[in-house]
Amino acid sequence: MASDSRALTTSTEQSPVGGLSHDARGGISNVVLGMLLFLTSEVMFFGGLFAAYFNVRANSPLWPTINPETNQQFHLDILPLVGPATVLLILSSFTCQMAVWGIRRGDRTAFLRNIAVTFAIGVIFLLMQATDYVALGSEGMTLSAGTFGTTYFTLTGFHGAHVFGGAIMLGVVLYRGLAGQFSARHHDAVEAVSLYWHFVDIVWILLFSLLYLLPGKGGP
Amino acid sequence: MATTVLHPAAPAYRSTLYEWVTTTDHKKIGIMYLLNSFLFFFLGGLLALGVRVELAQPGLQFVTDSTYNELFTMHATFMIFLFIIPILAGFGNYIVPLQIGAPDVAFPRINALSLWMLPLAGVLLILSFFTGGSAAAGWTSYAPLSEDRPLAALGPGQDLWIVAVVFIGTSSILGAVNFLVTIFKLRAPGMTLFRMPIMVWTVLVTSVLVLLATPVITSALIMLFIDRNYGGSFFDPANGGDAILYQNIFWFYSHPAVYIMVLPAMGMISEILPVFSRKPLFGYKAFVFATAGIGALGFSVWAHHMFTTGAVYLPFFSLMTFLIAVPTGVKMFNWIFTLWRGKLRLSTPLLFALGFLSMFLIGGINGAISAAVPVDFALHDTYWVVSHLHYVLFGGSVFGVMAGLYYWFPKMTGRMLNESLGKIQFVLMFIGFNLTFFPMHQLGLSGMPRRIADYASTAGWNELNLAATIGGFLIATSMIPLLWNVFLSLRSGKPAGDDPWEGNTLEWATSSPPPPYNFDHLPEIRSERPVFDARYGPRSHGATATAAPAEH
Amino acid sequence: MASSPRTGRSSAAIGALVVGALLVLGVVVVVVGKVDVGGAGEQIVSSLYPPPAVTDRAVHIRDLYNTVFAIAVVIFFVVEGLIVWTVLRYRRKPGDDELPAQTHGNAVAEVVWTVVPTIIVAFMFVISWQTLNSVEAISAEPQTKVAAVAGQFQWQFAYLDPNVTPAKCEDIKPTYTQFTPTGEGGGLYVPAGRTVQLFLCSPDVIHAFYVPQFLFKRDVVPGRMNTFEFTIDEADAGSTFRGQCAELCGAGHRVMLFDVHAVSGSDFDAWLQKQIAAASASPPPAPSGEPASSGGPQPSGQPPVQGEPPLQISAFNIAFEQTALQAPAEKPFKIDFDNKDSGTPHNVAIHEGSPTGAEVFKGEIFPGPAKKTYDVPALKAGSYAFVCTVHPTMTGTLTVQ
Repeated sequence: MASDSRALTTSTEQSPVGGLSHDARGGISNVVLGMLLFLTSEVMFFGGLFAAYFNVRANSPLWPTINPETNQQFHLDILPLVGPATVLLILSSFTCQMAVWGIRRGDRTAFLRNIAVTFAIGVIFLLMQATDYVALGSEGMTLSAGTFGTTYFTLTGFHGAHVFGGAIMLGVVLYRGLAGQFSARHHDAVEAVSLYWHFVDIVWILLFSLLYLLPGKGGP
Repeated sequence: MATTVLHPAAPAYRSTLYEWVTTTDHKKIGIMYLLNSFLFFFLGGLLALGVRVELAQPGLQFVTDSTYNELFTMHATFMIFLFIIPILAGFGNYIVPLQIGAPDVAFPRINALSLWMLPLAGVLLILSFFTGGSAAAGWTSYAPLSEDRPLAALGPGQDLWIVAVVFIGTSSILGAVNFLVTIFKLRAPGMTLFRMPIMVWTVLVTSVLVLLATPVITSALIMLFIDRNYGGSFFDPANGGDAILYQNIFWFYSHPAVYIMVLPAMGMISEILPVFSRKPLFGYKAFVFATAGIGALGFSVWAHHMFTTGAVYLPFFSLMTFLIAVPTGVKMFNWIFTLWRGKLRLSTPLLFALGFLSMFLIGGINGAISAAVPVDFALHDTYWVVSHLHYVLFGGSVFGVMAGLYYWFPKMTGRMLNESLGKIQFVLMFIGFNLTFFPMHQLGLSGMPRRIADYASTAGWNELNLAATIGGFLIATSMIPLLWNVFLSLRSGKPAGDDPWEGNTLEWATSSPPPPYNFDHLPEIRSERPVFDARYGPRSHGATATAAPAEH
Repeated sequence: MASSPRTGRSSAAIGALVVGALLVLGVVVVVVGKVDVGGAGEQIVSSLYPPPAVTDRAVHIRDLYNTVFAIAVVIFFVVEGLIVWTVLRYRRKPGDDELPAQTHGNAVAEVVWTVVPTIIVAFMFVISWQTLNSVEAISAEPQTKVAAVAGQFQWQFAYLDPNVTPAKCEDIKPTYTQFTPTGEGGGLYVPAGRTVQLFLCSPDVIHAFYVPQFLFKRDVVPGRMNTFEFTIDEADAGSTFRGQCAELCGAGHRVMLFDVHAVSGSDFDAWLQKQIAAASASPPPAPSGEPASSGGPQPSGQPPVQGEPPLQISAFNIAFEQTALQAPAEKPFKIDFDNKDSGTPHNVAIHEGSPTGAEVFKGEIFPGPAKKTYDVPALKAGSYAFVCTVHPTMTGTLTVQ
C-alpha cells in the first residue's frame, strides 16, 4: 500500500494528525474548515436571539416601548458613540483582510501592522460600547427595563462578548506573529481568526441596522 | 511510506491514569465518553426507579410533589444530555476515524476538551440536588414556570441546570465540528463519500444537526437565564414577553435533537445487520439519502410538540411529521431486506439489533398516530407520549447502544463479551422494557397525564402502573448480567483477535485494541466493505468463501 | 466471534425456555386467579382505544383514531411479521459457511416502499386535516360562554354574558364565578345539547384544560386567550366527567382537578340563575375600614367585637404571609384579610387540628387586590389550622387559648 501514501507536509505538532491539515491533494485547510463550521453554529446562535427579537417586537403595539422613568419612548442614539464605532469596526475588517493578504505573500511587516491596528480597533469598539451602555443605564435603560431593554442588551451584549473573544484571538495571532510563527506557507490561524472577525463585523452590521436604523412602530 | 511493526517481544503496554486523563487519543477519549455516559445512565435509571416506585400504587407514599418534579426532570436531563447524546458521540469518536482509515480526529485536543466538559456539567447537575432542590420544571423547562414567577424563586437548581446544559451543548458543538472536518478531510485514499460506512454517514448527518440546532437551545436557555436573574422579559407575559416564544425556540433544537439521539444508533445497526447476515446493507445509497432526508425534514416539524398551544399552523407541521415516516420506512425495509435471504448468526449484537427494529417500529407507529392533530389533542401530555418517546429512545437508541457495545467491545478491549450473559441481558431487558412501556399506551389513552406524582385510585390506572413499575425493576435487573459480563470479560474474556465477527469495515483491519496511530497498513478501498473485499476477493458478488472463516 | 453451533442451539434453547415459562405462568394465573379471559380480552382491546366520546367533536376524533389505529395495526403486523419470519427462516444452519447472494439492492422494491408509504401518510394527513377543521370550528352563536381560569393550583369557571365575546382575558366580566372546581356543588356546569364556548385564561404559568372524555385538551397560556367550542350529547345530561390540568405547572400540578357536570338545558338555566342570585344576596362582611371590592351594601352582620384587635392575615404569591397566629378562646373575633394577589381568589378557612380537619369557619372567597373582614364565631381552646379553600397549599397554624 506504499503507493497509496499521503504526501504529508512536515508536522510541527506531535499529534498523528498535526501534519494533515494540508493534504497534498489540496483543498481547504482543516483549521479553516473547522472555523467555518463553527461560524455556522454561531450564526444559528444569533439566529435564535434575532428570532426572539423579531417576535417580541411584533407582539408589541409600540416600539420602542415606554421608559417608565421618563414616560416617553426609549430611544437609541447613533451619535456620538455607536455610529463611529460601527465605522471603525467595518474599517477593522479591511485592515484584517489586508493582514491576511500580507502574510499570504510573505510580507510580515504588512501583516503585523495590520493585525495590530485591527486588534486596537477591536479594543476601542469595546470601550465605546461600554461607555454607551453606561450612558443608557443612566437614562433608565437596562436589561430589566422591559422587552426593549432586555432585547437590546442581550443582542448587543453577546455581540460584544464575541468581539471580546475575537480581540483575544487577534492578540494571540499578533503575539505568535511577532514570535515569527507564521509564514506564507503556514498561517492557518491567521486565516481562521480573520474569518471569525469578518463574521463578527457582519453580525454587527445586521444588528446596527435592525436596532438603530429600522423604523419603530405605533408611535406618534 | 514505511510501516511500523511492533517488536514481537514488546510487552503489553498499560497506560497510566495520568495518560488517560491527559490523552488526546480518540480511542481513549471514546472509551471515557462511554464510561461517563454509562455512569449517568445508571444515575438516570435510579431516578426513574424513584418515579416508578412512587407511581406503583395510588397515594403519595414516598416523596413530596416538589421532589417528584425534580425526579422526572433530572431523569430526563441525565438521560438525554449526559447519556444518550454523549454515548453516541463516544461511539462515533472511537469508530469513525477507524472506519475512514484515519489516525485520529482532526482536532484531538478539542476532542479532549469536549469530553471533559461533560463530567464537569454532570457534577453541576448532581450538586443542584443539594442547593435547595434541582431543576423541577421538566427537562423542557417551559417558561413562565421555569422563570419562577409568580411564585417565589425555587432556588438556584434551575440556574445550575441552565449552565450545565449550555456547557454540554458547547461540548457537543465542538464535537460536531471535529467530526465534520475529520469525515471531510481525513478519509483514506479510495474512500469516497459513497464508500463510507453508514455509521460514518449517520455521524455526519448527526453532526450537521448538532451544529445547526444546538446553538438555538443555547440561545433559548441564555434568554431564560436573563429572565430569571437579570429581570429580563423575553418569556414573561406580564412584561410584554411571550411564553410560546420559548417553546418555539426550545423545540427548534429539541426536535432535531431526537434525531441526534437516534441516527448514530441506526448507523450502528446498519453495521451490525450486514455482518451478521453475511450480506451487504440493502439499498446503501437510498439509505444515505433517507438519512439526509430525515435530518433535513427534522428541522421542519418542531411545532408538533406544540399542537395544543393554539399558536401553531397545524396542517403544515402535521404534514411534515407524517412525511418523516417515509424515509424512516425506507430504512426499516432496507434493514429487513438486508436480513432477507441472509445467513443470520443470532449472536447478541444481532439480537439487540433485532430488538431495535421491532421496538423502533412500534415507536414510529405510535408517533405517526400522534401526527394526526386531532388525535394529538387527546394524547398530548399523557402517558401515550411517555410510551412513544421511550419506545424510540430506549427501544430504539438504547438497544442500538447495547448492540454496538457487544459488537465493538472486542475491538476496544481485545476481549469477547460472554454470549450467554449477553443473551440473558437481552431477554430480561426486552421483557422488562415492554412490560414497563406498553401499558403506558393504555394509560395515556384513558387519560393519565404526565408529570403527576399520584393519581386517583378510582381512575382505573392502578394495575397498569404497578405492571410498569415491575417492568422498570426488571430493566434494572437486566443491568446485572451486563455489568457482570463486562467485569468478567475484561479480566478473563476470550481474546478477540483482529476480526472476531468477520466484519466489513476498516476497524477490523487492525489489532484489537488498535495501536495509537490505528493502522499499520490499510487494505485497498474499492467499496463500502473493504475488509470483506480483502477477505473474499474483489468480485464478491455471489462468491463462495475461498477459505472457511476462522472459527472462534 | 462467529456464533458457534453450540451457541446457536443454546440461544434457541433459551428462547424456547422463556416462552414456555411465560405460557405456563399465564395459564397458572388464569386458572388460579379465575381470570375471566374473555372479559379480560375485551378489556385489553378496549383499553387500546380512547374513552367513549361525549361531545360532537370527540366523536370525530374517535373516528379518526379508529381509522389511524387500524392502519397502524395492519402496518405493525405486516412489518413485524416480516421481521419475525425473516429471522426464523434465514437463520444460519450450523456448519454452513457459504456466502449468501450478495444483493445490494432492488430498484423496484425500493421505489415501491417509498411510494406506497407516501400514499398512506398522505391519506392519513388528509383525513386528519378534515377532522381538524370540524374540531376547530367556531360557530357564529355559541349559546353558553364560560372562561376557565387556571391558576396555581386551582380551576375556576367564570360564566359570561353569551352576547359578549371578550377580546382578551382582561376584558372578561363574569356574571357568576364558580370558585370550587370539584366536590359538592362545585365544578363546571354546562348545558348538554347546546354549543358551549370556552375561553382559557391563566394569570401565572401555562396550564392545560383536559377532559379525557372530550378526547381534547387545550393549553391555557398566560398572555394569550385560547378558545374552543364543544357540544355535549343530550343523552349525556346528568353525567359528570373528570378533568385535570395536563401541563406541568408546579408542585400542585396533580391536584388541579375539575369536574364537568352536563345537565339539561333547562336545568342549566335554572342553576345559573340560582347561582347569580345567591352570589348577589350573600351578606357582605361587617364594614371595617376598606370597603369590600364587590361594592355591595354594607349592613353590619354581627355586633363588632370589643377590645380584641382583629387578626391580620394577608395572602401574597399564593401563600399566607403569616405562619402562626393566636386567637382568644370562647369569644367571637374578627379577621382582617388582605388578598394581595391580583386576579387570584383567596379566602381564610379554619379547620380543627390540621388543614384536613373539620371545617369550623369558611370566609368568603374573593379575588385580589382587595381586603375583607371576616367575623369568626367563638372557638373552643385548642389548635387549629387556617387554610385557603382555593389553594390547599396555603396553610398556617392558629392557636386558640
